[in-house]
Amino acid sequence: MSLSVALTKGRLESQTVAMLEKSGYGIEKLRNKGRALVFPDTKKDIRYFLVKANDCITYVEHGVADIGVVGKDTLMEGGKDYYEMLDLEIGKCRFIVAGLAGANPLEKSGHIRIGSKYPNVAKDYFRSKGKDIEVIKIDGSVELAPVLGLTDGIVDIMETGATLKENGLVVYDTAAELSARVIVNKASFKMKRDEIMTLINDLERMIPHAEEN
Amino acid sequence: MTQIQIPSGMRDILSDECMIKDRLKSKIMAVYESYGYRQIETPLIEFYSTYQNTFTALKEETLYKFVDESGQLLALRTDMTLPIARVTAGKYASDNLPLRFCYCSNVYKVRQSFAGKRNEVTDCGVELIGLDDSSDVEVLSCALDVMAALGAEKYTLEIGSSELFRLACEKSGIDTEKAAVLADLIDRKEIPALKEYLKTLSLSSEAGRFFNALPLLGGKEALENAMKLCFDEELREEISHMITLRDILSELGYGDHVTFDLGKVPHLEYYTGIIFEGYAEGIGTSVLSGGRYDTLLSKLGRDLPAIGFGVKLDYLLDIMSSEKSEITKLYYPKDQIASAMKKARELRKTEPVEMIPREAGEMEVVR
Repeated sequence: MSLSVALTKGRLESQTVAMLEKSGYGIEKLRNKGRALVFPDTKKDIRYFLVKANDCITYVEHGVADIGVVGKDTLMEGGKDYYEMLDLEIGKCRFIVAGLAGANPLEKSGHIRIGSKYPNVAKDYFRSKGKDIEVIKIDGSVELAPVLGLTDGIVDIMETGATLKENGLVVYDTAAELSARVIVNKASFKMKRDEIMTLINDLERMIPHAEEN
Repeated sequence: MTQIQIPSGMRDILSDECMIKDRLKSKIMAVYESYGYRQIETPLIEFYSTYQNTFTALKEETLYKFVDESGQLLALRTDMTLPIARVTAGKYASDNLPLRFCYCSNVYKVRQSFAGKRNEVTDCGVELIGLDDSSDVEVLSCALDVMAALGAEKYTLEIGSSELFRLACEKSGIDTEKAAVLADLIDRKEIPALKEYLKTLSLSSEAGRFFNALPLLGGKEALENAMKLCFDEELREEISHMITLRDILSELGYGDHVTFDLGKVPHLEYYTGIIFEGYAEGIGTSVLSGGRYDTLLSKLGRDLPAIGFGVKLDYLLDIMSSEKSEITKLYYPKDQIASAMKKARELRKTEPVEMIPREAGEMEVVR
């Protein structure tokens, strides 16, 4: 039976495509995209499409895509109605808690305001530390919020930490380690188990275990 | 300003779809009635406390809530199982067991907005109250007959066991709180996180292997593979029970449509024995779900075993062909309404007739 695979555009895209290529999948069309939105595999009965991270979950939850490749950051913030079956160990980064030097939001008494693109992640993290906080949703450069005094700290994704340092922010804790995950629609897994397990096993063999991003 | 919108998650169902839905409902209810189930209707509105007192892990944000004139909190029902359990506990105290109920009713749940999800669905199901797990086969066979009646080309009923998981936790000394975390990881097949979490539990190597394997203990040979991994006699007994189920279902001719997934462990506080879900090709969600819930009724003051399942009709509409039923059109000039009505009365003995007035011209029947 044919499989539909939703790949997250951008940072994860080229690494995921490379893993598929190494496992012998026909991804030529994904390399020369043009204006197409759906790309058939040239060797197997699979079609790929490129979507934004949040949409990847939506497509998989509705079963329009059987399989999706998406960052753990998006999964932690979004819904949970899918199987999360494999850690591809690519696109590694962290959710961190940061604030101005000498002003650790975790140690503040009274009302705490946290800026984040990921309000659920921020709330869940602070709740796990026994803290009740107010989240202010920030869409752009989150680092700006504590610098300008809008919030006491931020919860955000950190890759290198350079932006934080440049703005005088200090990392106080890691809220979660992140990487790309393979998610599967529950009903698809029942109806196309063998095809899905083949793809998952192929990808699992390509995981660059020794590599550090 | 005119108000033409409907609340999030709601849908209007227009005529063609209504017709398909109604036909689907009749097919399903016919199967239930053939198994001796009798229809029941309960109010759309329940006390919020009925849900709150029964489910300790109730997600209150998923209920539609409002207040009555005396300030009591009310809720729209989220399922039919609890209302039927309530009726059984409160109104059937001296009746003969077992009780067999079937229903086709709308149920309500607040779900994520802007994600294409339905907050109102029609649930069509059965509850068999007062018989222990020896009646599991009967209910599974009813579920399989319903799946067949839906007319999907390819379908499967997948069976799991919450008892197996509960026993495995008990034998490994995993407490309720940790079991809940573990169940969630296994049920969502969150394999990377499961591996990490199991490391923190300091289990025996056999138990570790068992729990690690659970998410993928499905498909062909699932039960045989599970048997090899069982680390306790009682676990093996549970698998034997499932093998017996499988053999009987095969003997009844359902073999091709039955699969097992032992990594299916949802709603632990609710289900106590087998759990099952039906899937049909072309639908991205389960279309039938159910299981055994032997402890629910005791929370309402009546200790009785029970099992049930339901089909959510709305998810099925997408794969149902719309065999349009034909309505005969009777065109008539406005000044001949009386004779047109007589003609229509004649025709309506055998077919539905829709009357369409014209300014002038002949009377005309169009089929």
